[in-house]
Order: sequence, then structure tokens, then C-alpha cells
Amino acid sequence: MRWQLLALAAGLAGLGVSIYLTAVHYAGVPVACPANGTISCEAVLSSRYALIAGTNVPTSAAGIVWFAISALLWTRRPGRIQLAWSVAGLATVLLLVFVEIVLVGVICVWCTAAHVLVLVIFLIALQTANGGRVRS
Amino acid sequence: MSARRPRTRPVRKPVSSTPAWVAPLAVVAGIALLVVAFLVIRWYTTPLPIPPLTTDAAQQVVSSISSLPASELDAVGAGSANNLIKPVSGSQLTGPNGYPEVFYLGAEYCPYCAAERWPMIIALSRFGTFSGLKTTSSSSSDVYPNTPTFTFHGSTYTSQYVDFVAVETTDRDRNPLESPSSAQQALVNQYDSSGSIPFVDLGNHYAFSGAMYLPDVLSAMSWTAVADALAQPTSPQAKAILGSANLITAAVCKLTADKPASVCSSSTIQSLEKTLG
Repeated sequence: MRWQLLALAAGLAGLGVSIYLTAVHYAGVPVACPANGTISCEAVLSSRYALIAGTNVPTSAAGIVWFAISALLWTRRPGRIQLAWSVAGLATVLLLVFVEIVLVGVICVWCTAAHVLVLVIFLIALQTANGGRVRS
Repeated sequence: MSARRPRTRPVRKPVSSTPAWVAPLAVVAGIALLVVAFLVIRWYTTPLPIPPLTTDAAQQVVSSISSLPASELDAVGAGSANNLIKPVSGSQLTGPNGYPEVFYLGAEYCPYCAAERWPMIIALSRFGTFSGLKTTSSSSSDVYPNTPTFTFHGSTYTSQYVDFVAVETTDRDRNPLESPSSAQQALVNQYDSSGSIPFVDLGNHYAFSGAMYLPDVLSAMSWTAVADALAQPTSPQAKAILGSANLITAAVCKLTADKPASVCSSSTIQSLEKTLG
């Protein structure tokens, strides 16, 4: 129950981050973020990779959908469905981290916060899915 | 009758269960390794800074890009440039020689400034002459590293139609170079509230911030290679840079009341002027 609540909270926090980044994109206002040689949310969010391929929809909008569904799933009893959803999320995060580090070359703090939340949700899903087998 | 010994099932030796923390730790360690691998790939694939050209070689490149035939510029039109130029309402900005002023604020480390200087030089060269332009490249440790460009720091521009005032705030290593005056900073505050660079104010009639094309078009190219690509109207570099230059040219023509006619009366520039609002 404790893990479930933590995953739900992480999902809601990620939803907040994604909504903020999407709102900033559509409002055309600068994102609140430090900028130096290594960190620049502006550079990442203004790169061509910040949009879902072939659209003008920001990647963070997909984050809203993912975190919203994740939060909904964690209102139910933990099982394989949460694990499968978090595996999909983690795979996407790894792709986005590749884009940030290799293709763009700078880190977006807000994006990293969302990525960490996905990782936390995945670890909880892994733990709860493993829980029965490991302890029996 | 011998008593049969009850058959006992073999007792399985208890196997110690895997501690619960092993799987999460393995995942975290795997991701950490992957991030390290990404950093190594980035390090290997980042283009090295190209040594700056000598003054003479740089001047040759400037001469080459500032003497492109009008027919080629007209053929490209807006090309692949993203028109960022927006009309603004302010009192006429007049330069030190009494002509409408084009004000630029940027920095040498900034890759978007690096990209935008190419079209600015090409466009302004149609109204006057630059001297003292030196080659440089954007920061090695920023997005679009080592984008080849020129610096306006230490250059001069003469024209009988417009004044050009440029402020490069830092060098490519982010050491301070120049600071905007309070009047220039007021323009930035008024028209570029996000503080994005490059910021360009065209006589207080138009302004824009950012680059009109992505700097990756110039990735790993030398200045000479860019100049050569600009001679090919269908190259991605020509479409991006000359398209941006034409948009800037159209905005400057609006400031100069379409003077000189040899530049501003072309159907391409006239057509782009209408898109500026």
C-alpha cells in the first residue's frame, strides 16, 4: 500500500511537470530553468526533438498522457499491468536521455525530473511485481 | 515381517532467496552504465573546433558570401528559413550616422547567434560593407557545438542607408567582451522579454530573437565549405542562410524606404516585404 501510494504520488508529480512544460510551450514563455554549458532547458525544449515527430505537439504532451494513465493504474491493485506500462515509460525515457545527451548535448532539468519519476515508478512496479515471488 | 521404512520425500535444500534490493539496484546500475555510454558517444561524436582562418582567408570568405549574385538570392526566396521577424511599435531607432539602426545583441558562445550571423552579414552587405570580421565558432560545450561563424566584435560596418550596431557580450568561452548600454538594454527588455539571443532590432520597426534556422545545418563544416555551399542555391545551407538573409533584407528595405532600388525592387524582396506586416 505504501509503495502504491508512492507510485501514485510520483505519477501525479510527473503529470504536474508535463503540464507545466506543455503550458510553457504553448504560451511561448521562457521556462524557469538555469542555463549553462551543461544545463539548458531552452536548448532542449526548442530543439526539433522536443516535438513528436511530424507534428507540432510537444513531447511533454505525451508525458501528460503517460503520467495520467500511470496514476490511474496505481489506484488499482499492483500487478503486471503497472509493470508493463512502466517498462514502456522507461524505454521512452532511455530514448529521450539519448536524445538529450548525444543529439542535443545539454540536459533539461525539468525533463530529467520527469525521467527520474518514471524510473521511480518503474522500480516500484518491479518491486511490487517481484514481491510475492521473492518472499515465498 | 520387516517393517517398511516410510518413504520420505527428499528434502530440498533451502535456497537463499534473492534480496529484494538486488533487482532495483541492477536496474539503476544498468541505467547509469547506459548514461555513461551516451556521454562517451557524445564525446566521440562532438566535432572538434576548426582552427580560425587567417585574416586574409576570412576576408576571402566574407567577400565570397557578400558578393553572391542577386539572381541566386532571388531564386532561394525565403528558402527553409523560419520567419521570426515581428513588427514592433516604437520610436524610430536611429544610429550614430543618422540612418535607421539595426541593433544586434548576441554572444560568441551562442550557437544560434553563430547561425544567424551568416544571413545578417549577407543581408547587410547588400546595403554596405563590413570590415574586420574574424572567424570564430560557438562554444564546444553547448548545444550545436563549434558552429562556424564570424564575430561582430571588433568589426566595422559602413553604409549610406543603415547603421549597424552590434554587441557581443561574451567570447566563445563565456568571458565578458562587451556590455549593452542602458538604452540598448531597454530595447532588449521591451522586445525580448525572455532574454533570448541573438536579439535583433531593425529600426524599432521589426525585431526578432533566435535563429531563423537550426545551427545543425552547419555542423562540422569549415567557413570555406559553408561559403561553397552558399554558391549552390539548392544546398540546405543556401536554403537556410540565404532564405534568412532575404527576410532580413526585406525588413531593412522597409527601413530604408526601398533603397537601394537595385536590392529592394526585386520581386522576391517586394514579395517578402508584404509578409512582414
